[in-house]
Amino acid sequence: MKSALAVAGTSLLRVSKDRRALLFLIVLPVVVILIIGATVRGFSTIRVGVVDLGSGAAGRSLVSAMEGSSNLEVQRYPTLAAATTAVSRGEAATAVVLPRGMDAALRAGRSADVAVLANQSNTTQQAAAAAVGSVVAKEGARVQAAYFASSRALGTYEADLRAAASLQRSTPQSRVLSRVVDASSQTLPEGFSYSAPTMLVLFVFVNALASGAVIIETRRLGLYERMAAAPIRRAAIVLGETLAYFLVALTQATLIVGIGALAFGVSWGNPPAAAALVILWALVGAGAGVLSGTLFRTPEQAGAIGPPVGIVLAMLGGCMWPLSIVSSFMRELGHATPQAWAVDAWTDLMSRGGTLGSIAPKLGILAAFAAGLLLLSTLRLGKVVARR
Amino acid sequence: MSEPGNAPLQAQEGEGAPVLSCVGLAKRFGQRSAVDGVGFEVSPGEIYGLLGPNGAGKTTTIKMICGLLDADAGSVRICGRPLAELSVRSLVGYVPQDIALYPDLSARENLAFLGRLYGLRGRLLDERIAEALELTELSDRGKDRVDAYSGGMRRRLNIAAGLLHHPVLLVLDEPTVGVDPQSRHAILERVRSFGASGMAVVYTTHYMEEADRVCDRVGIIDHGRLIAEGTKRELVEALGEKDRIDLVATGDLRALAAASRAVPGVERAAEADGRVHVVAGDGRSVLPALVEAVESSGVTLNSVEVAEADLESVFLHLTGTALRE
Ligand SMILES: Nc1ncnc2c1ncn2[C@@H]1O[C@H](COP(=O)(O)OP(=O)(O)O)[C@@H](O)[C@H]1O
Ligand SMILES: [Mg+2]
Repeated sequence: MKSALAVAGTSLLRVSKDRRALLFLIVLPVVVILIIGATVRGFSTIRVGVVDLGSGAAGRSLVSAMEGSSNLEVQRYPTLAAATTAVSRGEAATAVVLPRGMDAALRAGRSADVAVLANQSNTTQQAAAAAVGSVVAKEGARVQAAYFASSRALGTYEADLRAAASLQRSTPQSRVLSRVVDASSQTLPEGFSYSAPTMLVLFVFVNALASGAVIIETRRLGLYERMAAAPIRRAAIVLGETLAYFLVALTQATLIVGIGALAFGVSWGNPPAAAALVILWALVGAGAGVLSGTLFRTPEQAGAIGPPVGIVLAMLGGCMWPLSIVSSFMRELGHATPQAWAVDAWTDLMSRGGTLGSIAPKLGILAAFAAGLLLLSTLRLGKVVARR
Repeated sequence: MSEPGNAPLQAQEGEGAPVLSCVGLAKRFGQRSAVDGVGFEVSPGEIYGLLGPNGAGKTTTIKMICGLLDADAGSVRICGRPLAELSVRSLVGYVPQDIALYPDLSARENLAFLGRLYGLRGRLLDERIAEALELTELSDRGKDRVDAYSGGMRRRLNIAAGLLHHPVLLVLDEPTVGVDPQSRHAILERVRSFGASGMAVVYTTHYMEEADRVCDRVGIIDHGRLIAEGTKRELVEALGEKDRIDLVATGDLRALAAASRAVPGVERAAEADGRVHVVAGDGRSVLPALVEAVESSGVTLNSVEVAEADLESVFLHLTGTALRE
C-alpha cells in the first residue's frame, strides 16, 4: 500500500506541476460555468407576475425577496384576471397571488396560502413556478405556497385557486411544496445552477479522458518497467495510478462544487447525497481516464480523441441541454451514458429536494458504470505493467 | 509490501558464493530467438562485462535478470535466492538502457520516488538521495528539472537511481550511450569504484574499449549466445599467436573487407568505423598481398596499423564480423 501511495503521490506531483493540466482542471471549467451560467440566465430571466390582494407587510417582504433574487424579474398586476391573462399569453412565466389578510394571518400564528400559477403542460412555466416556490419557501416556513395548475379556461382560475387553497390547508405545508415541485421539474434550475452541475459532469469526465495521456507517457518513458524492477507488486502500480486519477477527478469536482457554491450561489442540494454523487462521478472519471491511457498509442492521440469523445457523451447525456426536450429515442440513447444518470441525479438533488434515498437508484447505476470502467481499466493497465 | 532499503548479504552461502548466478537463460519473441542459453556467474566485487553488438541479446538478458521479462527457460538466482521472491529485487540496482526518469520532475523528486519504491523513507531516504547525487556529481543540480539536464547528466542520474538502496548487485545496461567523452570517463571511473567497494556489477556494452577498461571478466554475446567468456587476457590468449592489422581507408570498405578475406593467410576481415580489421596468423607475410588487395578494390588507403590483439580481434575471430558495423 505504501508503494501504491508513492506511485499516486508522484503522479499527483506531476499534475500539480503541469500548467496545462491545471488550466483544464480548474480555470477552464470555471470559465465555462461562468459563460454558460450567465448566458442561460440572461436568456431566460423569469418574469413573475405579482397580484397583491391586500397582503400587507408580509406580502411586501416576499415581493422584495423575489426582486432581490437574481433570476426573477417582478411585474405587478392589479387583478387576478390581468395576471392570468399575462401568464396565458406568456408575458409572465408565472404569477404569484398574495392573499388578502396574509400579514394579519401570519401575525396571528396562522398560515397563509400563496398561490403560484403555472400550466402543467408547460415546462418553462413549471420551472418558473419552482424557482418562485424556492423563494417563497426561503421567506419563511409559515408562508405556504400553493401551486396549482390548470389547462382549463381562464374563467375557472379563481375557482381553481380556491380549490387549491382549501386542498392546501388540509395537508402539512412542507409536503405540499415538495410534492407539487416533484411532479413538475424535469430540468435543473437555470443560470449557474444549470451550468455548474452539467459542466462538472462534463469536465471531470473529459479531463480524465484527456489525462490518459499521462499513462501513455509514463509507459513510453519506461517508468512502469523501472517501477517493476523494485520490490513491489504490480498491483500496487495499478492501484496507485488509479488512485491518482480518482483524486484528480475528485479534486476537480470538489473545486467546481465549492466555487459554484461560494462564487455563483449554486445550491447543490442535500449534502450527503451530493457528496456521494461527486465521489461516484470521480470513480467513473478514474476508470475512464485510466482506460483511455491504455487504449491510445500516443499521448497526442489521447489528447486529441479523448475530449471530443467526452463532449459527445456529454451532449448525449444531457450536459448541453436537458434531455426532457429531446425525442424519447435520444433520451433513451442518452441514458446509455453515465452522464445522463449523473445529470438526472443532480436534477433530483437541485430541483426536487432529492435525498440519498431518493437518488439511490441512480447512484446504483453510476456505481455500476464506475465498477465496469474500473474493472476494465485495471485489467488493461495490469497488462501494460505485466511481465512478458 | 516492500523491504527496507538496506539489502543484507545474508542469504549468501559461504565465502565467494556468487551474487548472481544465471543458468541457461532463453527468450524468444515470436519466431525470433533473442537469447539462447546464456549463463554466467558474478562474484562480490566483480565487474562482469556483457560485450556484444546491437541486437545481440544483452538487454533481454538483463531484463530477465531483473525480473522484468519472464525467461522461457533457465533460472536466475541472486545471492542464492530465486527471483520469484519479491524481496530479492531489493538486492538488485537496475540501471536501464533507456533512461527511465520523469523529465518534468527534479532529480531529487525522481530519486525520492524510486527510493520509496525500495522502501526508503524519511531521513534515510534524504541521506541516500544526497549520497547518490554526490556519487554521480549532481549534488548542486538536485533541484533542477531533469528536462533541463544534458544527456550526460541524465545518464548519471539514471545510475544514481540504481544506487539509492545500496544494492548488492548493480546492473548497468549500456550506461554510456550518447554521453560525451568526459562524462563517459567519469562514469567508467565510478563503476570501477563500485566494484572496488565490494558491489557485484553487470555491465553491458557494445564498446570494446569499455569492456576492456572496466570489466574484470567479459562474456562475449552474439545472436543471443554467449560465445566466449573470461578475463581479457584469457580471451586474447585464446587467439594464439595471431596478428591484428587495421587498414584505415576511405571508399568501399565492404569491398576491401571482401578482398582482404580472399588473401591467403587472412583468417577474418570486417569493416567498422572507417577501417577494416584483419586477423591473420602471421601479419608480416600477408601485408604485401593485403596492399595489393587495397589497390584492386579501388579504395584510398590512409594508413596501416599493426595493432595488438584486443577484444575486438577476439570478437572478429569468433564471429567473422566487427562489433560495430
Ligand atoms: N520486445 C521485443 N519484441 C520483439 N523482439 C525483441 C524485443 N526486445 C528485443 N527484441 C529482439 O531481440 C533481439 C535482442 O535484443 P536486445 O536484447 O535488445 O539486444 P541488445 O540489448 O544486445 O542490443 C533483437 O533482435 C531485438 O530485435
Ligand atoms: Mg540493449
